[in-house]
Amino acid sequence: MTGRFSKATGTSVIGGAEQHPSRSMRAVLLLVASVGALLALVPLWLGSSRVMMGVAVLGLAFACYVIAFNLIFGSTGQLFLCVGALAGIGGYGGAILADTVGVPVAVAIALATVGASLTGGLLSWIAVRRSLGVIFTGIVTLIFSLTFENLLLGLGTLTGGESGFLISAGAGTFIRRQIPPYYLMLAMVLLFLIVHGMLRRSHFGWAFRALRDDEVAAELAGVNVARYRVYAAMIGAAMLGLAGATYAFTEGRISPTTFGFAQLDVTVIVMLAFGGIGALFGPVLGAATFTFLDEVLIDFGRLRLVAYGTLIIALFLWMPRGVIPTVGDLLRRRRDRHQPGSSKAPSTSGPADEPPPPAPTEQ
Amino acid sequence: MTASILDGIVLGFQFGLLAAGLTLVYGLGGVLHLAYGQMAVISAMVVLYTLDAGVPVVPAVGIGLIAGGLLGLILDLTILRPVYRLQGEARVLLSLLLTLGVAFVVDGFLNWRYPLVGLSLHVGGGPVDLLGVPMRRGSLVASGITLASFLMLFGFLRGTALGRAVRSVIEDEEGARLVGIDPRRMLRIILVMSGLLAAIVAVTRSMVAPVTVTAGFSITVFALIVTVVGGLGSVSGALLAGIILGVVNSIAASYIGTFLSLIILLAAAALTIVLRPAGLLGVRE
Repeated sequence: MTGRFSKATGTSVIGGAEQHPSRSMRAVLLLVASVGALLALVPLWLGSSRVMMGVAVLGLAFACYVIAFNLIFGSTGQLFLCVGALAGIGGYGGAILADTVGVPVAVAIALATVGASLTGGLLSWIAVRRSLGVIFTGIVTLIFSLTFENLLLGLGTLTGGESGFLISAGAGTFIRRQIPPYYLMLAMVLLFLIVHGMLRRSHFGWAFRALRDDEVAAELAGVNVARYRVYAAMIGAAMLGLAGATYAFTEGRISPTTFGFAQLDVTVIVMLAFGGIGALFGPVLGAATFTFLDEVLIDFGRLRLVAYGTLIIALFLWMPRGVIPTVGDLLRRRRDRHQPGSSKAPSTSGPADEPPPPAPTEQ
Repeated sequence: MTASILDGIVLGFQFGLLAAGLTLVYGLGGVLHLAYGQMAVISAMVVLYTLDAGVPVVPAVGIGLIAGGLLGLILDLTILRPVYRLQGEARVLLSLLLTLGVAFVVDGFLNWRYPLVGLSLHVGGGPVDLLGVPMRRGSLVASGITLASFLMLFGFLRGTALGRAVRSVIEDEEGARLVGIDPRRMLRIILVMSGLLAAIVAVTRSMVAPVTVTAGFSITVFALIVTVVGGLGSVSGALLAGIILGVVNSIAASYIGTFLSLIILLAAAALTIVLRPAGLLGVRE
């Protein structure tokens, strides 16, 4: 089943411009630095408004979630529909450890991150061991999400149930002030981008490109697919746990809707699909665009959902690979037209039998 | 105990019929239809507003069923066209994302235009004694309609030429094409049928509990879970899984409490998928 998937879509869904192995680590770092510099200026613009800074911090938290989802789904093809639940393990785990148990905030965040990472690894291990395809992995992780949400509501004495959890630990320190949380989250976004970029340049990235091109050949060549998948899920889930826990402490209040499937997972999917699944910087573009759109559409209230739905449909009908790969392809095609003779972007280390660029109508 | 089992079976019939529509669409077309619950909700709203306009119950329900079928046809003619151009899991993924978009549009619109509205049909008369348990008349009528729909569905799939053509496409699309069956046409028929089934579920459910405008997502999720447990593409699997999960749910609800019963239901579904990914009566690809 997975083989069919990589044949049918792998090249188009997970083959964006950013996936190209020729981009050096230095170029990635340079891009990360410029994105960071650009985003670091936001508080100069919005810093005076507490509400707008809250929105900006939430946008960065979403960027973290989308990067993690991009690593798990975009790079290794595991459809984890439990992004919110894993971030929630971080958020609620950290809050309960710090407030109810009385552990220092930093230790609580670290433990919650480990917890989320192990949970993600376990889910991935089950999916790999039972060789569940993309869809079944999605359904099992969706069931996990729903179970987690119901546990949050059901264990009201521990989690505060529907009304949420007020975190008193960390109050009065810098993580509750107006500007510092923004830079804390921004640092996390940049760190995650670098980690994902490095992973793609490592054995890990090669293993998955090989897998995408020909699963059987990759396994015959000794690529241990299962192990890489589980590692990717553990790293991605750790990112989710860390971001969820940090966000919880900067907010001071979390509720089941903070990490709910309809609120978090769906938004993450839309953001990634917009930026481009598998494109390294897609998550940042997607999170920034939709955080901005959300503020613009806030007056429409309930019709916001209609706008989201329409946007999803339009996006997948006309730009199924996302903005970054589509624009990247357009640019490359234009450049190729100016340089007759070179039909391909210069590739120093790409595999010789790389498949031709897919037709834009494919998904 | 008998009471919870009977309640579970009533619930199970509805779970099963709900899943049958989804399982056929998936088995035949490789389309994961996430706006399925929204189709049921729209049909329920059509019935509600037809009743409000003064139309008697039976024609109103008929109009609701037609609306359900039409919704399936519209989806097939519009949003699913690009989906059919793809194959395999790419098709499943695109269909999942597009129908999720449709679900949002419908949910957002209904919540905006008709907030806090729900359909509940009251079936008159006192409780009926069944195996020593007083059952609500509404539950019995609902189960009767559901069972009859199941029998008609089985009759269609096994007894008619068209139904056999549908099943042949589920078994082997290429082979069906070779003997002159047009899979595209079969898909259109199945989508219309899934709309009908969603409408029937909406109507029968409203005899037991109100169907509200916000119910779409949870209907889809339940249908999905039952479908997967029963085996994708298997109608009898959907019925079996529906009854099993319905009984598990209602026993857990009366002995342990509603909050844990939902978790037990979810855990049972997850366990089935992990232990037997093809589902109870499914065939592993």
